[in-house]
Amino acid sequence: MKFWTIGKRNLKEIYRNPVLLGFLLGMPVAFMLVFVAAAGGAQASPIALSIVDEDHSQKSSLFIQYLGVAGAIKPTEPIYSEESQAQQALEDGSISIYLLIPSGFAYAQQTQQPINLELVYKSTDPMMGLQLKLIIEAVGSEFLGVAPPLNVELKGAESEIKNPAVNFYFPGIAIFGLMILVSTAAQLIAGDREKGFLSRMFTTPARPWDFILGYSLPFIPVLIISALIYLGVGMGLGLTIVGNQGLGYAFLVFFLIGLCSIGIGMIVGSLVKSESQAGVSWLFIVPVAMISGAWFTVDRMPSVLKSIAGALPFIHAIDASRAVINGSPVSAIVFDLYWLAGWTIVLFTVGIAVFRRTMVS
Amino acid sequence: MNAVQTFKLTKEFDGLVAVNGIDLEIKKGELFSLLGPNGAGKTTTIRMLCCLVKPTAGTASILGHDVVRTPFAVKNLIGVSPQETILSERLNCWENLALIGRVHGLSPSAVRERSKELLETMGLTERARDQVRKFSGGMKRRLSIAMALVSDPQVLFLDEPTLGLDPQARRTIWEYIAGLKGKKTILLTTHYMEEADSLSDRIGIIDEGKVVALGTSQELKTNVFKMRNMVVSTGNLTAEVITDLHRKYSRVAVTKGELKISHEDLDFKEIVDYLHSRGVTVHSATLEQPTLEDVFIQITGKKLRD
Repeated sequence: MKFWTIGKRNLKEIYRNPVLLGFLLGMPVAFMLVFVAAAGGAQASPIALSIVDEDHSQKSSLFIQYLGVAGAIKPTEPIYSEESQAQQALEDGSISIYLLIPSGFAYAQQTQQPINLELVYKSTDPMMGLQLKLIIEAVGSEFLGVAPPLNVELKGAESEIKNPAVNFYFPGIAIFGLMILVSTAAQLIAGDREKGFLSRMFTTPARPWDFILGYSLPFIPVLIISALIYLGVGMGLGLTIVGNQGLGYAFLVFFLIGLCSIGIGMIVGSLVKSESQAGVSWLFIVPVAMISGAWFTVDRMPSVLKSIAGALPFIHAIDASRAVINGSPVSAIVFDLYWLAGWTIVLFTVGIAVFRRTMVS
Repeated sequence: MNAVQTFKLTKEFDGLVAVNGIDLEIKKGELFSLLGPNGAGKTTTIRMLCCLVKPTAGTASILGHDVVRTPFAVKNLIGVSPQETILSERLNCWENLALIGRVHGLSPSAVRERSKELLETMGLTERARDQVRKFSGGMKRRLSIAMALVSDPQVLFLDEPTLGLDPQARRTIWEYIAGLKGKKTILLTTHYMEEADSLSDRIGIIDEGKVVALGTSQELKTNVFKMRNMVVSTGNLTAEVITDLHRKYSRVAVTKGELKISHEDLDFKEIVDYLHSRGVTVHSATLEQPTLEDVFIQITGKKLRD
């Protein structure tokens, strides 16, 4: 129960400090506003389009290259060779639309038969699909010569998602917001070390875990409120949560990644000497957020970075929350949940071990 | 069993010897003062006894519990008032006291009872519900000492408890410490010689990490301090007599008909007899008692430290 006593003290230190409280609770709102601004600006850039090439011919490869040259479309790597792969990616939410070039594409062109392409998206908002349909028809006719009629059939995968962009970016932005807890948690410990408060507490019989739990405890309400603000504001701004389990599981994922962030904060806070030094947390937060796909898709990231990101918990949290929000069943994220829970345990264990070493000099 | 026992206790920081083989034995219920210039090793010694700093060599134990092997047993027995006043600034007095009391395993009701008594003693009852960041230095210091006492520790470490306090606050704390004498074992460090002189059962003077003198205040004054001051009120001193005295004694000063002579193991009678033999009228002659500060300066020198 000693951790409870320490935890209560720390909770008071936080909620009696208006600047810190404002930072903690104002952050989620500020973040969502930045996110809306960023998502709004994205419409001006070329539309990223995933492509399935089932024809595997020289002609189809040239066609794909030609699509990119026009500048309105940006074919994304990798080019899928089977439609099932693209369907899976669409289901995960890692892509939002793909173009299917069926087998027989080159043959149909040679024999001057009608060519049918399919544009498959997971969205109830047809605007992007319609734009793409017109562009592909125009660019395609130019590439193939006007003679054979080119049909692009727009097919919506069954989905209730109102705004695919919001659904795509929301998890990354929310999880980046929760990563701020690394810095805040580290600051609380480091500040108390700097003031000598910890040194005084080290003359009492409190154990290392009393401190680590006591310093983590006050961030739990902050974490819960932040996660609820993210989900609430996100839904207010057009986030669609598919199915009736998505919300609960997204919250669970946010909660676990929040615990990981607090755990990392405990380690950073134990290693640094002063509150200002706790700023080094940002050296961790920013790059990790970047490689974990918090701000943009990491599909084209080099494999080394992908492996690093895959070992860390954040990309799992982003992928898993995106999946459950877009209606994937829980079975699709079980591994991610175990990964997050495992990291939470590891981080707190390491935190206690590191903290223990700082109790005597 | 001694309350505090150290054997060749040593601490080196990157080749700098802060504490150099200190042997201390403090009995239960004793009030022991550790004196020394800044940087002499007082605080490092206390920090080793409180399990905050690991000794490089030697051992230390509190009521038989080794500070390195069983730190949590030690921490259960001690109360510490650190040199800097360290409080939880956004908590009020009750909450600060409860923090320490509860972490020591006291029940909420026991904490309340102890706190009430301590706040009363320290004159903090009226402001007990205010956040302590608004307090004056003296009030903070009093609360800091109360926090060291809230767990009713058997061994109390007070590192400069009255540093920077006004005389009233200092006296209040001295009285309180005096009241604890015999009931608790207290290890006190201070720069106020008067404080050490009036409160301590025994005094240890440490310098450059070593204990250089140890004993009761009286023992230190008589055994350690050999220099004696004598003040003679005279009527008719001649220049010849003064020159003669200068030759014989270490320090001779004349001000407004008053003659002041300082010398090691000074012989009172010899001087009075000499003055009479030279026809000097002696109105009065007194031998001054050395103060603890005289002892301190003699042992540790006059050079500035830090």
